[in-house]
Amino acid sequence: MGIFVKGLVKRYGGKTVVDHIDFEIADGELVSLLGPSGCGKTTTLRCIAGLETPDGGRIEIDGEVVFDSASGRVVEPYHRNIGMVFQSYAIWPHMTVFENVAFPLRVRGAKAADITSRVSRALQRVGLGAFHDRSSQQLSGGQQQRVAVARAIVHEPAVLLFDEPLSNLDARLRDETRAEIRQLQHDLKVSTIYVTHDQTEALSLSDRILVMHDGLIRQLGTPEAIYARPNDVFVAEVVGTANFFNVIVTTDGHAVTPGGATFHSSCLSPAGPARAMIRPDRLIISATVPAPGPNTLQGIIRQRLFMGGHYEYVVETEAGSPRVLSSDEFAEQTPVVLSFDAGDCIFLPA
Amino acid sequence: MSGARSSAFSDRSGGWLINAIFVATFLITAFLIVTPLAALLHGSFQTGSPGTKTVFTFKNWADLGSGNIIHTLLTTCFISIVTAVFSTLGGAGLTWLVYRSDFRFKRSLVAAVGLSFFFPGFILAMAWVILASPGGIFNDLLDIEWLQFDIYSITGIIWIQILHIIPFAFFTLRGPMISMDSSLEEAGYASGANPWAVIRRVTLPLMIFPLLSSLLLCFVLSVEQFAIPAMVGIPGHVNTLATELYLLTSFSPPNTGLAAAVGLAMSAVTGLSIFLQRQIVRRHSAPTVTGRGYRVRPLTLGRWRFLADAICLFYVAMSFIIPALALIYTSGIKFFVANPFEAAWTWRNYGQIWQSPGTIRSFWNTLVVAGGGAVLGLTLGTLIAWFTHRLKPRGYQALDALASLPFGIPGIVIGLGFLWSYVYLPIYGTLLVLVFCYVARFLPYATETIGAQVVQLDKSLEEAAWASGANRLASFRRIILPLLRPALQSGYFLLFIAYFREVAAAALIYTASTQVLSISIWAFFENANWGVASALSIVTTVITVTLMATVMRAPLKV
Repeated sequence: MGIFVKGLVKRYGGKTVVDHIDFEIADGELVSLLGPSGCGKTTTLRCIAGLETPDGGRIEIDGEVVFDSASGRVVEPYHRNIGMVFQSYAIWPHMTVFENVAFPLRVRGAKAADITSRVSRALQRVGLGAFHDRSSQQLSGGQQQRVAVARAIVHEPAVLLFDEPLSNLDARLRDETRAEIRQLQHDLKVSTIYVTHDQTEALSLSDRILVMHDGLIRQLGTPEAIYARPNDVFVAEVVGTANFFNVIVTTDGHAVTPGGATFHSSCLSPAGPARAMIRPDRLIISATVPAPGPNTLQGIIRQRLFMGGHYEYVVETEAGSPRVLSSDEFAEQTPVVLSFDAGDCIFLPA
Repeated sequence: MSGARSSAFSDRSGGWLINAIFVATFLITAFLIVTPLAALLHGSFQTGSPGTKTVFTFKNWADLGSGNIIHTLLTTCFISIVTAVFSTLGGAGLTWLVYRSDFRFKRSLVAAVGLSFFFPGFILAMAWVILASPGGIFNDLLDIEWLQFDIYSITGIIWIQILHIIPFAFFTLRGPMISMDSSLEEAGYASGANPWAVIRRVTLPLMIFPLLSSLLLCFVLSVEQFAIPAMVGIPGHVNTLATELYLLTSFSPPNTGLAAAVGLAMSAVTGLSIFLQRQIVRRHSAPTVTGRGYRVRPLTLGRWRFLADAICLFYVAMSFIIPALALIYTSGIKFFVANPFEAAWTWRNYGQIWQSPGTIRSFWNTLVVAGGGAVLGLTLGTLIAWFTHRLKPRGYQALDALASLPFGIPGIVIGLGFLWSYVYLPIYGTLLVLVFCYVARFLPYATETIGAQVVQLDKSLEEAAWASGANRLASFRRIILPLLRPALQSGYFLLFIAYFREVAAAALIYTASTQVLSISIWAFFENANWGVASALSIVTTVITVTLMATVMRAPLKV
């Protein structure tokens, strides 16, 4: 049954940090809450965990109502069937690795033999099979993170809650752990909410992404859909780098820039001023001049940054100075032509 | 590192002046602290009193093993262990209520604990004598056999000390409690543990070292306690080491040599405890907050909240409200009677304060000693903190050790040390002796308050001043001092209050012309003049509490 949230409201003092949001997470689905700090994503997660008491709304976990303002029902966090990974990992320093992971089983009154086998399995799963008796204070950041994950899954909770679990790891470890979390979640098939402000994490991990801003849901959809067809400029920027051009939409699917270039898009959009959005990797850069027509821009390369696998260019055109990714090499100050597919250009509200 | 340091020190930009200041600071500190200790050591091997003809002897040290002293030592330890355990339990309970539960009156409770914190111990003791001595208000009004309580007893001493020391435990424990990473407890809830399991398996184990540290501090505070056992113990023939030392010195025939040996033995106990406490704090600080400042969701007390309310009200009533009322009552009646309806009301006691030249003089003396002495104490403390935490010139460890020594020395012992040494100095019988004694006794208060702030100041703030062309002195004056101002202010008032109400250190060294307020109150009380003693106590308490409430708001906040 996953997670069901309806009309969730949370205020701190006079400030509404979560403002009547609704969403549903299917069984075994991983949904990221993505947004800048202060957008309400962590508060939403903590309300689901029961660590904050909402001011209104209704939350169901696995079919059970755990919060309902109408009936006044509040289930304590420790009676919700959840597993949670904290940003600080919250590994108890006075317990060994084994005891940390065994804790959820012990408080549930599991049998000793059962505890041993399940803790071993959980630790094996996160690649810490040999760490049983290690003091939790001898662990590196990455190892602590794994212990936190083992502790969250050991009792096979109905839902997994991650609160920015990778933000304290260095870049390389983050990539590695991200892949492992995805694999783990696939294997366990458990409904998961993953709070992050990192677009790469959200895009690569999620079945769906929920973009939040100022306590509101701005968009909910698959990573591909949100990346390719964001609802607005805010969402477009949250999930990746975006180039924007000021345009006037004339008829459906057609627009002109102030300089006279014509943009065609396969998206429908009302007439009037708008912002055309094209991702840097969707602009095609070439030295040869194709036949002039729609969806081409003449420009000059103003900056070139070598990124390893590819180059990033800033190209000055009469419509603006977009960033363009390409594996082809051009010298700075070279005149070039940018072109794009109608399917890669969308018109957003100005 | 040390090379860089010494070269930075001998540069031309005021380096010699800083060196001179360091040497002066070191010598003054050494003089203030080593002199009384050396004098005590000397005195403990003498047959006579300071200033009389005396010869070398081992007898004082041998007498430490006498049945009387051993009995006193055991009594002191018993009182102090019981006091420490209950004070820490009480303090921990209050801290938990305020910082982890949905207790309804948090602000009021913290304010009330703050009030009790600043309510001088000797005044609290006096109030409890009025309340619970054999002819006191409780016993007289509640004329029931099995409810009679004699405050002049070991139980009485322990009772008053617990009331007095609980706020210390509270303020010691609340720091670790606030700064503990709350996600550690939340992870417990998220793992399925109920509040009781989280307290037992997460909060308590993580707080074990702060609790131990509080236990040791409360133990030391209790061992050093002089005013409370003097007021309720001496009449009940219960002696602690502190009162024993006082009796040995003040009643003839004086045995100042034995008193010196007792004092040193006492300092060994307290000094060792403080050493242990500091080791614990240094090695095992509780895990602190790393991420965001989410507060743990307060726990619902539910139907237990009335019990919590009742316990807190009981504590506040016993530690402040009822004692204060008893004093107000006693200060307003002509002759002491337990029943207010039989009392003859009067302002006479307050009038007597102004009519007695001795009392007026003790007011002025207190103002000079507390107001002026605190300037000296704070200056010295700031210099020491600056040298030991920041500049670290050669020999700073010795300075640090010297300055923290008084932590482990009871007030009455420092007083005795000053008595042994200053009899030979021309300042004997002047207020300066009291000032020196207080500065020495409370030096750690100043160095700790300022030091905590100095550590917080990022070194780059000062380095930026150097890079901008200010030398060490100029950067100290124009960058550091302004940044330290809040700490200096609170440090000043902390010292002022401490000097203002000190009894133990003054008890042995005051003379008729250098009497201070606390001693006047005690003297009135001992002469059975409860009315004037109460009136003076109220004036003193009002001054103390007003000062604290206006100047040091911070400690009273939740």
